Amino acid sequence: MTLAWLLVALATVAAATPLLTRWWGRNAGFPVAAAFVGLAVSVVPLGRVVLDGEVVTESVTWVPELDVSLALRLDGLGLVFVMIALLIGALVFVYSTRYLKPGRQLDFYLLMSAFTLSMVGLVLADDLILLFLCWELTSLASFLLIARSGSGGEAASTRTLMVTFVGGLALLVAVAVTAVATGTTNLTEALTSPVWADEPATAGLVAALVAIAGFTKAAQFPFHPWLPDAMAAATPVSAYLHAAAVVKAGIYLLLRFSAAFHDVPLWNVMLLTAGLFTAGLAALFAFQKTDLKKLMAYSTVSQLGLITATIGVGTEAALKAATLHTIAHALFKSGLFMMVGVIDAQAGTRDLRRLPPLRRKMPWSYATVVLGTASMAGVPPLLGFVSKESIFTAMLEAPGPSWAGPAALAAAAAGAVLTFAYSARIVTGAFFDGPRDDDEITEAPPLLLVPAAIPIWVGLPLALGVGVLDVPVGQAVRAMAGAGAEIPHLSLWHGFNVELLTTMVVLALGVLTVVRRESLGRRLSADLLPTDGAGVISFLVRRASLTGRWLGDLVEADHPSRHVVPPLAVLGLLLLTGVWALGGDGTVPPPVEGLWTWVDVGLLVLVTIGVVGVAVTDSRVGGTVFLGAVGIAITVQLFALGAPDVGLTQLLVEMLTVTVIMLVLRKLPVRFGLPRRPHRRWSLVLAVLVGSGMGFATWVLTGRRERSEVAAYYVAESKDVTGGDNIVNVILVEFRALDTLGELTVLGMAGIAIVAVLATVRQHLLDPGTDHQREPSFRPRHHRGRAVDAQAHAALTDAAANAVPFRLLLRVLVPALLLVSALLFWRGHNEPGGGFIAALVASIAVALHYLAQPTDVSVGPPALPRVLIGGGVLVALGTGLVGLTAGSFLAPLSGYVLGTKLSSSLVFDLGVYSAVLGLVVVTLELLGAPRADQHGSGAQQRAMEEAR
Amino acid sequence: MTVLPITIAVLVTGGVYLMLQAGMVRIIFGITLLSHAANLVLLAAGVSAWRGEPLVNRLDADTAADPLPQAFVLTAIVITLAVTVFMLAMAVIGNDDDTLHVPDTGEEHTQ
Repeated sequence: MTLAWLLVALATVAAATPLLTRWWGRNAGFPVAAAFVGLAVSVVPLGRVVLDGEVVTESVTWVPELDVSLALRLDGLGLVFVMIALLIGALVFVYSTRYLKPGRQLDFYLLMSAFTLSMVGLVLADDLILLFLCWELTSLASFLLIARSGSGGEAASTRTLMVTFVGGLALLVAVAVTAVATGTTNLTEALTSPVWADEPATAGLVAALVAIAGFTKAAQFPFHPWLPDAMAAATPVSAYLHAAAVVKAGIYLLLRFSAAFHDVPLWNVMLLTAGLFTAGLAALFAFQKTDLKKLMAYSTVSQLGLITATIGVGTEAALKAATLHTIAHALFKSGLFMMVGVIDAQAGTRDLRRLPPLRRKMPWSYATVVLGTASMAGVPPLLGFVSKESIFTAMLEAPGPSWAGPAALAAAAAGAVLTFAYSARIVTGAFFDGPRDDDEITEAPPLLLVPAAIPIWVGLPLALGVGVLDVPVGQAVRAMAGAGAEIPHLSLWHGFNVELLTTMVVLALGVLTVVRRESLGRRLSADLLPTDGAGVISFLVRRASLTGRWLGDLVEADHPSRHVVPPLAVLGLLLLTGVWALGGDGTVPPPVEGLWTWVDVGLLVLVTIGVVGVAVTDSRVGGTVFLGAVGIAITVQLFALGAPDVGLTQLLVEMLTVTVIMLVLRKLPVRFGLPRRPHRRWSLVLAVLVGSGMGFATWVLTGRRERSEVAAYYVAESKDVTGGDNIVNVILVEFRALDTLGELTVLGMAGIAIVAVLATVRQHLLDPGTDHQREPSFRPRHHRGRAVDAQAHAALTDAAANAVPFRLLLRVLVPALLLVSALLFWRGHNEPGGGFIAALVASIAVALHYLAQPTDVSVGPPALPRVLIGGGVLVALGTGLVGLTAGSFLAPLSGYVLGTKLSSSLVFDLGVYSAVLGLVVVTLELLGAPRADQHGSGAQQRAMEEAR
Repeated sequence: MTVLPITIAVLVTGGVYLMLQAGMVRIIFGITLLSHAANLVLLAAGVSAWRGEPLVNRLDADTAADPLPQAFVLTAIVITLAVTVFMLAMAVIGNDDDTLHVPDTGEEHTQ
């Protein structure tokens, strides 16, 4: 079993959950648990290697350009966390089979097993990028698991996501800085880099960022509120993620980076202060809670604070204590969470005030909870006692001034007193105090109780024979503090010393809180703060979105002049002054001879007339006519410049554009409505500024050079390279086919975006009935009861009769156009033509066919445009992939068929053809006249709205 | 003395003027003029003194136009078509944008 296979196996388990849940419903937890146990056993051989002091590493190159690899590494620390994730996971899965409601529960099992995968990946990652990815995956899994618990979980899951993503961002920056500073993305190399000692500022920065990341995951102040919030999730989720895994991911990160930062003062101070403060504060909150699950959540926050502070001490003894307490806490807290679920399931409530004295009805649960809470409170002879003792030892070693150690110990001890108090409150509240109506309640079924009890009961033998943990914990510490580190031995009995004295004081004070619990409970029941963490986060999110809206208002406008005026003004000034400065010193070469012809002058006059017309007219149709005139003039200009392909394309595009504009104008008011005079004047000033700047720049910066090398290359070589005569076309489909592929995609996206956007708009809003208002205003004149000029009237108003000559013409025209299209397509390689032009000709045939119909008809089946666009892009991509066989993406393949040289670029051109046609079909279908049936339904909708 | 820069100046002036007006259709007209201008700038960069068609079989190396700007412009024209059509679709949605009335998209927005 290698590490990579372990991850593959976990991924397989996750992938198998849909089948498992289909076959067995909620009982799918059994095979998953069995798989986890099996995997844990299979890791044992590797674990033995690790416990002998070796390290298992594996690496697969992932992104060689960035020197990132899928590096995995199993050392003592990783082993501890892998075992926690797999074994606690197995227990939680067994527990879930009885806790969850009968049913498929696919999302639960899928997310939980996917989470296990990301957690194991996180602790095995030996690459910073991989570490970050797994870190974010655990965040996402946690978010989804909270969110799946229904409406109550929605807001909570979002808040959780916000907080954990703050940490994710901090970690991302830390990873980036580390990779740059150390020159590697390998975690082990980065952590042992001499950079941290040489550059204290960098070390401090990264240490602070990593600490923030760890704090968010491990729920340390001020990031702690998400954990109590996350209690909206189902109890198994809390038991696994919020006791054993997600929060431990934060602890893991802090432990892992201790290797580099354990003697960075900022790191020590941040972890110690935040940890101890959180430990005390959360313990106090825990004591106040009456909901057992909330109580457990705050208790977890408090315990994690203790661990964080211990990591902050940074000595070997401290790291050992932190690791040991991580194990102890994972055991008793996951067990206690599950026991809360047991109590909730059996008694119907988990509120301490409403729970009857359960000790007689649920004796096994009672014993288990007592044992678990005793371990949490640090009562000997349990694992929690051993770990808390060693934490007290560690606190005395706190770095800094001489008072730091005793002060840290005092703070930790104060937290421990509160821990004892709330631990005792769980027992007294659930099993002693309360109303006596417990007739219905029975002991929990074994399948629910046993998995919950195992991690708690295991703490007892583990504490008595704590020497068993000596080697694993020792190796874990060596992974952080170096291979030669001296690790103090673990034992239940340390002799009489300060720590034991502290424990005795803590226990004595704790017992006092139990005796005085009623008055204490009354005194502490009032809320300490006006709001809770969730409220603060919600407030911050609300403020942030209000600020965002305010900022958005600054640039929001119903027409773009507010956005475009500043850049346009700057552009105009820059062009005029910049080019003036450039041309002023006489370095600009003289223009080439013969830049203009008399044709250009004639076209300039036409363009000017058209531009002035389109700018001043108030009529939309008039504007369209002027715009078309400009387009035709430009087309002629293109031909005059020796660009026949471009000219043809421009001409066809111009026709299509005008057609589409006319379709659209039918749905719009007849007139633009001219703006106020001052607005027009200022617009004109700016327009002249930018226009003259552009003209001036073009004059100074173009037409003053010899032929470029690229141009000379294309002119001289393209025939030999491609076999095509039409250089522009072979540039498009062979030399620069990637550009064309991009263009094709833009085209396709425009078509699909039109479909997507218009699908969200109601039909009657697209067609506000202007057709009816704009019926020809004249009526047939009547003379003695008979219509005069009936034929003239019919020719203007009767669409069917009107279109007859047009349709007759099309019988000839459409086949001819399609033939021309095919010819243009075929000859594109050597003569003006090609996919674009051919497709535009075919589009015009389609448009004519559409326009000739008296009523709206479909150009083709509804899926046709999508098929054309998607098919076109796919064909082009496919040709590109085939090109890979010839050496590179989109490399053309060519060969001779029947004596004619054919190139795969012809197939590529077919993709172009299809996508262009698809866009036109989409446009005609959606922007054309409303269908009769659609119009009817629009009218129906309107009627329904009015009725409302 | 040359003419193309003047044509470009006229087109840009008209395009910018229209872009600054209210109403989607005028903005679209303005952008169409601007793209004509941009295409001419690209072709001017290929030096308008050489105007031979870049087809190998009727090529005169001394007068042949630079084919690369032409390929760029061809791509640009088709993209302009796509963008124009898309903006026209948007103009349809805002078909009463001149009346300062926000159209109802038919969606329910809940805060």
